[in-house]
Amino acid sequence: MSATLKPYLTAVRHTLTAAMCLEHFSSQVVERYNKPEVEVRTSKELLLNPVVISRNANEKVLIESSINSIRVSIMIKQADEIEKILCKKFMRFMMMRAENFIVLRRKPVDGYHISFLITNFHTEQMYKHKLVDFVIYFMEEIDKEISEMKLAVNARARICSEEFLKRF
Amino acid sequence: MAKNTSSSAFRKIDIDQYNEDNFKDEEAEQSVPTGPDEGDVCAYLNQGRYVDALKLVLSNAPLGSSDQQVKDNALALTLKVLLAIKSAQIEEAVAALSQEDVDILMKYIYRGFEYPSEGSSGHLLLWHEKAFSIGGTGSIVRVLSDRMKV
Amino acid sequence: MAQTITFGDSCAPITCHAWNKDRSQIALSPNNNEVHIYEKEGNDWKQTNNLVEHDLRVMGIDWAPNTNRIVTCSVDRNAYVWTQGEDGKWTTTLVLLRINRAATCVKWSPMENKFAVGSGARLISICYFEKENNWWVSKHIKKPIRSTVTSLDWHPNNILLVAGSADFKVRVFSAYIKDIEDQPGPNVWGSKLPLGQLLAEFPNTQSGGGWVHSVSFSADGNKVAWVGHDSSINVADATQGKSVIKIKTEYLPFLGCHWISNNSIVVAGHSCIPLLYCHEGNSLKFVAKLDNTQRKESGGLSAMKKFQSLDRQARIETNDTYLDSIHQNAITAINLYKGSKAGADKFSTSGLDGQLVIWDLRSLEKTMDGLKIV
Repeated sequence: MSATLKPYLTAVRHTLTAAMCLEHFSSQVVERYNKPEVEVRTSKELLLNPVVISRNANEKVLIESSINSIRVSIMIKQADEIEKILCKKFMRFMMMRAENFIVLRRKPVDGYHISFLITNFHTEQMYKHKLVDFVIYFMEEIDKEISEMKLAVNARARICSEEFLKRF
Repeated sequence: MAKNTSSSAFRKIDIDQYNEDNFKDEEAEQSVPTGPDEGDVCAYLNQGRYVDALKLVLSNAPLGSSDQQVKDNALALTLKVLLAIKSAQIEEAVAALSQEDVDILMKYIYRGFEYPSEGSSGHLLLWHEKAFSIGGTGSIVRVLSDRMKV
Repeated sequence: MAQTITFGDSCAPITCHAWNKDRSQIALSPNNNEVHIYEKEGNDWKQTNNLVEHDLRVMGIDWAPNTNRIVTCSVDRNAYVWTQGEDGKWTTTLVLLRINRAATCVKWSPMENKFAVGSGARLISICYFEKENNWWVSKHIKKPIRSTVTSLDWHPNNILLVAGSADFKVRVFSAYIKDIEDQPGPNVWGSKLPLGQLLAEFPNTQSGGGWVHSVSFSADGNKVAWVGHDSSINVADATQGKSVIKIKTEYLPFLGCHWISNNSIVVAGHSCIPLLYCHEGNSLKFVAKLDNTQRKESGGLSAMKKFQSLDRQARIETNDTYLDSIHQNAITAINLYKGSKAGADKFSTSGLDGQLVIWDLRSLEKTMDGLKIV
């Protein structure tokens, strides 16, 4: 495990804990509405300052929060073409099934690869500290998942080419 | 009217902004802070008085300034100080700060994350860890909620 | 020390709760459009009534101790006053709030002849009963509120009202209704008191920032305490030229604050633990954490597991489902259970974890070192 991963996750964990202080808040612009303020952005006093935590230029997390919702966007490390393709396919797979993941947003925020949208309804149903755990768990697993898939792709490619080259 | 019926651009106009009851940010009234003096800070750095340099940049942070250039200069200077301090000395430096300064330090750490350069993020993560151990989650909450940005 | 109560089988969050005068009954909302009334039977709490009239989430409940009336307000923009008939059934009277956004909080005045409702329409409705028409009518306090009103509290003189709002300000207004009350005399906050007169305005921070979550007048009415979303606790003293003392804490933001004596404040919020602070002279001092629960150590975890969790997820905890506190999620409301603001013996907290906890300050005072409530 590389040296900066642990401090990186710790920083993200603390920031999420601080940002995920949500409460029920009805829209003050539209009657009988209740929308995540971080998405609709109708009243600027209800939004907090967005913060970024970066591990390096290719791996960062954007946390935007508001009075009743927070949006967490993750930029995933992609070293080469294969990782890019794998990441794109994998994220697409998950985001098409976003409702099964409950807190996943259907589209990532511009410049990031995947976004979560957590509202006060989620923090009411689930323990807040477990929601934070989930995001952290996701962040550490996604890198691992992608590098494993990359190995699998490479291994498969090697077998294919070996089989192919046997003929000659 | 007739030729524009298919246009939907009017739907995007934000009419709520004209509501006079809307919240408005208060104007910064006091004298415009100019930020820390680069010469003084560099002098401290050259003498190896890192903690003094850190205190100087934090206490002179141009929080109320509306001039983005002033803020950017102060940010660049603060990052220079933060990156100059060695990992082993961070804890000692943070311990020497007042609570107000820790809050401002936290703001600069998060700003620094936005512009990652070679090795800077790793160093800032260390700063974050130490500042958190002093300021607690409260100081992160104040980075999020304070409308005076650095 | 602390007594925990859960209501029914549900573990739905408790949005807000209110006690009746002798504390034998409680009204609470399980995070939906209903208000449940429970009555104490021996050691159990039995549900006796279900007040269903709102059609969206209930945001505020207040139970007038002497007149035994409940007022509720909700996101559906309405408020209702409930009175109990001889058969134990509760009947409603509509309140004409004249607002077009969610009602967020409600409080009876100390004399129980009027109440105030805060709302997302950026105004406060002061409501009083009109006999001729048999309904509650309201007058508005509108200026200069710029965002949703989040909390309210009455001055003991029945005239002044303090309101906290999401535009980072705490304001003291006069809520004098000339139709039902005699002309009030001057007090420390001001002398001219027409309805809606702004007597004091305190920004939460100089630069703006931090929604005000809860406000409270002290028992003598000279001090106002509030908590904001910048994890701060603030006290403004009218006898000291309305100066503000602010303390920035290292905890998560607080959602509730309540005076429990003339100098002591209990605060609680997202950190799940009630804290006691003391106002002395020109400072606010931390006194104690009122919850010292240690999580039970579960023996089944290996050192390996502990190491893994530390290494992989940057977590120190071994068994991480439960927090080190009685409340397992944010505390949203604090009410007094026994005593008054001038000297409380017990208070109750409720939160998103669906638990209601009654804290006994006197026994805490005996068991905790250094805890002295002044």
